[in-house]
Amino acid sequence: MSRITLENIHKTFGKVKALDGVSIDVKDKEFFVLFGPAGAGKTTILNCIAGIAMPEEGVVKFDGEIINLVETAKRNVAMVFENYALYPQMTVYDNMASPLRSDLYRQNEDVIKERVYAAAKMMKMENLLERLPSQLSNGQKQRVAMGRALVRTPNVFLMDEPLAHLDAKLRNAMRTELKEMQANFGTTSIYVTHDFMEAMSLGDRIAIVNQGKIVQIGTPDDIYYLACNEFVAQLMGDPEINILSGLLRKNGDNYSFLSNGSEFVLPADAALMNKLAAYDGKSVDIGIRPQHVMYSFSKDAGYRDYQVYSYESIGNKSVIEAYPAGHSGRGDTHTHVRMIAPNGLTIKIDQLIYIDFKLDHTMFFDGSSKEFIGCYNEAGIRALSAGKEEA
Amino acid sequence: MNKGSKRLLTITQNGLLFIYAIFALFPLIWMVLLSIKSDTQMYTTTFNFTPTLSNYTEVLLKTDYFKYLLDSLIVAGGAVIISVIAGVPAAYALARYDFKKKEDIAFQILSFKFAPEILVVLPLFMIYQTLGLYDSYFGLIWVYQLISMPLLIWVVRGYFEDISVEIEHAAQVDGYSWYQIFFKMLLPLIKPGLVSAALLAFIFAWNTFTFPLLLAGSKIQPITVAITKFLGTDTAHYGQLAVAATVSALPAIIFALCIQKHLVRGLSFGAVKG
Repeated sequence: MSRITLENIHKTFGKVKALDGVSIDVKDKEFFVLFGPAGAGKTTILNCIAGIAMPEEGVVKFDGEIINLVETAKRNVAMVFENYALYPQMTVYDNMASPLRSDLYRQNEDVIKERVYAAAKMMKMENLLERLPSQLSNGQKQRVAMGRALVRTPNVFLMDEPLAHLDAKLRNAMRTELKEMQANFGTTSIYVTHDFMEAMSLGDRIAIVNQGKIVQIGTPDDIYYLACNEFVAQLMGDPEINILSGLLRKNGDNYSFLSNGSEFVLPADAALMNKLAAYDGKSVDIGIRPQHVMYSFSKDAGYRDYQVYSYESIGNKSVIEAYPAGHSGRGDTHTHVRMIAPNGLTIKIDQLIYIDFKLDHTMFFDGSSKEFIGCYNEAGIRALSAGKEEA
Repeated sequence: MNKGSKRLLTITQNGLLFIYAIFALFPLIWMVLLSIKSDTQMYTTTFNFTPTLSNYTEVLLKTDYFKYLLDSLIVAGGAVIISVIAGVPAAYALARYDFKKKEDIAFQILSFKFAPEILVVLPLFMIYQTLGLYDSYFGLIWVYQLISMPLLIWVVRGYFEDISVEIEHAAQVDGYSWYQIFFKMLLPLIKPGLVSAALLAFIFAWNTFTFPLLLAGSKIQPITVAITKFLGTDTAHYGQLAVAATVSALPAIIFALCIQKHLVRGLSFGAVKG
């Protein structure tokens, strides 16, 4: 149980800058998610906290105490490694018991047995305890690696993609269990993932990491609704957010957005319009989530002509991807629009589809810097997110 | 494949294996046979002879044979023990740490095995004379490192490289110190490689002839050198030679049999992968 603070951490491997001035402040008992694309430096952040990697610059603090020079063993952290790192010569039981048998964290064998069985039960692998790691599937190995961490009562749990190799059903079940377990234990947890569903559902707060830098830190709602730039907006959400580039123009009292030869008149929102005033006549991008794209197969007023690029099922719903009708750039994916549709539609590739946007759900980004400008009902979203954080 | 041709295949396979077994074992069997023949029957090629143990009593009881055997054991065993004590940490360092000229050093160690012994033994002889290492256990154990150390370092290094570094990290996180990790987590994983490399190194050291012939003389005589004594100036006592050779082969054979199951697995890499 501990507050973990990283201040301005720099870490390089040879000529590669792995971490470039990372600062995060993880509160006591918080479930903190590190989210980002592969190679962003997420695992290196965990390694710096665990003491496996030594930052060249910056300090790591546990409860305000600088622990840069404390050995890994004495930091009392529990870590789940992405490649499991099980001890091949030991059975599952011995693997899970190993932290409780070390000099620093020794428990008597009765306690060990109790804790190992409790963890094994939670992971649904009581029947595997006598096996060797080489006799396990990857998903099972991953659960053992989790179990080895869960038998402890550490300062912080560090989890490096602990659910990545589980099958979908088990992953969902474990996700729920993890969240509940963390709430019960009240142990600070730092969780690395590249699955946005996991990040959204588990995290009290999420830090977006890219190229060794922290891009944004916030609650899942913050990150989702108020993404600080286009990169974050595209990272969060599946199917990916639609980004349309265009020009902003003031038209009497209203603003309109010109993109691909069509004009969108923006609904009014005083706070947003104030922010947009500076961008009159300049290029902006708008981001609109696929669920806010409406489609029709008959020409309705205000709908624009598109053609179907693909139609694929993602389980209980499908995604239609479409490109502007007659547009030469069929392969130009920047102009494509994704939207959510029910399953079982008879849709032919390249057939006409008519599309309109729920413009009062859009986010605005600077056309050149790609930074967030504003969105509709921003104050409301912020209030909601702040309220959640306090609770 | 039908039943008949399957059986034919089995017969051929077993037949070939049988022929190979005879080929491989014949010299050994011949050696054992010689050791129980008397000198007069030595050159008969029929199996019609009266077995005698006189060669054995002659060699084992009337010469310092066991002293030579002990010398061999001390020198070869000492060489292997030192190789293990110094070689395993060296192998760990070469596998895990990144330092300047790492590969050059590793290659340099291997290259000790390239030069024929006869090539380096003369300068060594001069140096040993000067340093007073000539004809001493220490001197021989030292020079035997040329034989045992490179083998051990290279085999064990491969084993360390196969162990993912995260296993060490995980053990650190679990609260173990470096020494505990080394002895509890790493040593069991490199054991097959270590055991088989040590055994091979022992056999090579045991069999080496050139170094002890020239770097030891009267006080210390490993068995390989001592055997030459049975080649008399006028006649060769083949029976006694055979006894000396048979008995001197025993330690290596016994060791090999004891750790047979490690031996095959041990030298094929990748046995550690979890």
